[in-house]
Amino acid sequence: MTTRTLRRWFVVHKWTSLVCTLFLLIVCVTGLPLLFSEQIWDTFVGDDDPPYEVLPAGTPNASLDVIVDKARALYPGQIITSVNPDDDEPAVLVSMAPSWQALKDDENYPDRHSGHWIKFDARTAKVLEQSRPADAPKEPRTWTGIIMGICNRLHTSLFAYLPGRLFLGLMGGVFVASLISGTVLYGRFMKRLPFGSVRTDRASRLTWLDLHNLLGAATLVWATVVGFTGLVNELQTPLFGLWRVTDVRQILRPYASLPVPSQDHLSSVQAAFDTAAKAAPGNEVTGLSFPGASFGSPVHYVLWTRGATPLRARLFTPVLVDARTGELTGAYPMPWYLRFLEISRPLHFGDYGGMPLKILWALLDVVVIGVLVSGLVLWAAKRKIATDARLQALGYELDDTSELVPLPHAAGEGAR
Amino acid sequence: MNAMSPDPLSPQVPTTRHPVAVWPWPIALGLLTIFGLLSALLGQHGVWLALSWAALSIPLIVTVACLFKAWCRTSSVKGGQS
Repeated sequence: MTTRTLRRWFVVHKWTSLVCTLFLLIVCVTGLPLLFSEQIWDTFVGDDDPPYEVLPAGTPNASLDVIVDKARALYPGQIITSVNPDDDEPAVLVSMAPSWQALKDDENYPDRHSGHWIKFDARTAKVLEQSRPADAPKEPRTWTGIIMGICNRLHTSLFAYLPGRLFLGLMGGVFVASLISGTVLYGRFMKRLPFGSVRTDRASRLTWLDLHNLLGAATLVWATVVGFTGLVNELQTPLFGLWRVTDVRQILRPYASLPVPSQDHLSSVQAAFDTAAKAAPGNEVTGLSFPGASFGSPVHYVLWTRGATPLRARLFTPVLVDARTGELTGAYPMPWYLRFLEISRPLHFGDYGGMPLKILWALLDVVVIGVLVSGLVLWAAKRKIATDARLQALGYELDDTSELVPLPHAAGEGAR
Repeated sequence: MNAMSPDPLSPQVPTTRHPVAVWPWPIALGLLTIFGLLSALLGQHGVWLALSWAALSIPLIVTVACLFKAWCRTSSVKGGQS
C-alpha cells in the first residue's frame, strides 16, 4: 500500500469516525437499558395486572366471538378496531373507539385519545382490566417509565421522529464505512505487532492505539452486524411505505371504493382467526384489525400472522378475510426488502438466545464503547500535538513539550 | 513476577522485527462471531444456543486475556524498578 493510499484511508477513517462517534456513543449507552427493558420493568414497576384465575390445564379458550360481543355490550354504539390475543398471557386485548372518524380526528388533536381498550381473560371471557378513561387524571409517571422512554426515543430517533430515524440510519452507514476503513488501517499498523499486544511501556498514545486496535478487532464483526441491522431498522418507515403504495395498493384496488359495512353485519371473528391460521400454515395469528382501519381494506378483516421460530417470528404474513362473507381473500407474504428487515431485527436486538445472549450483547456493547472512547482519545491527543506544533511555529514557548517527541510507530502520520 | 511474564511479549521487545501474520486472529474471532450470531438464530435448540453463547464469549475472553497480560507486564515492570 502506498503512503498516499494509506493517507486516504486514514482520512476516511478519521472523518467517518468523527461524524458518527457522538451518535454511536448515545446509541451504545441507551441501548444497554433497552436490552434489559423487560427485566427492568419487572423489577422496578412490576406487573400490576390482577392475577389470572387458576384453571385446570388445557382449559380451552373462549370463542373470540363471545369476547367481541361482550365488548360491544359494554360500549354500545362504539366500534371495535382490533382484537389481539396476548403473546404469553391468557389474555385478549380488544381495542375500541367511538368511530373510525373519531380516531382519524385524533391525529389533529394530540391531547385527544378517543381509542381505548379492554383486556379479557382468554379462557373465561371475563373483563380483567380496562384502559383509563380519557378524562381521568393522568397516571403519575414512574421514574422507570421516564428513563426508559428517554432511552428508547434517544436510541431510535434522537427525539426527532422520522427525520431522526433516517439520520441515525445514515450514521449507521457512516459507522460501517468507519469500520471498513479502520480494518484497512489495522492491517497496516499491526504488521510488526503480534495480535493483542498492548504496549504500556512507551508513550501513552501507543497504549491507546493498541487498545483501540485490540478492542476494535475483537468486536469488528459484531459491531458491523449490529450497526448494519440498526441502519436497516431505521429504514422501516420508508420500506413499509413503499410496500403500502405498491403491493398493498395493488391488492386492495378492487375494494378501495367500497363503503365500510356496519359492524352489526360482519362475519365471525373467531372463524376469521381459524381461516387465517389455515391460510398461513406454520404461522400463529397475532391479531386482527377490523374493516375500515387505516391502511386496511374497507371490507376485510386484516389478520397478522407470524412464524413460530426465532428466525421467522418477526416475519409477518398478512391475511385478508372478507368480513362480509367470512371467506379467505388471500395470504400475502411480504416483499424481500421487508423480509430482510424482519430478519435484521433479532440480529440488532440480540433477543433470540435467552439471557446469556443478552449479557454477551451488553458486554460486546461495552467493548464497542471502549473502541469509541479510545478513538476519541487518539484524535484529541493528535489535535493537541498539532496545536502545540502550530503554537511553537508561531514562536510560543510551551512548558510541556514532551508530546512533541516523534512517535516511534508514527501511527496515523497521514492525518495532517 | 518477572519469571511469570511470557517471553515473546517481554516488556523490552514488544514489537517484532519481522512482519507477523496480521489476519489469522481477527479472522478467527470474526468467524466465531458469525457462527455465534447464526447458530442461535437458526438452531433454536439447547445445543445451538450453548454453542452460540460459547462462540460469542471467545472474542470477549481473548480481549480480557490480552488486557490482563498487558496489565501484568506493566505491574511487573514497575515492581522490578521499585
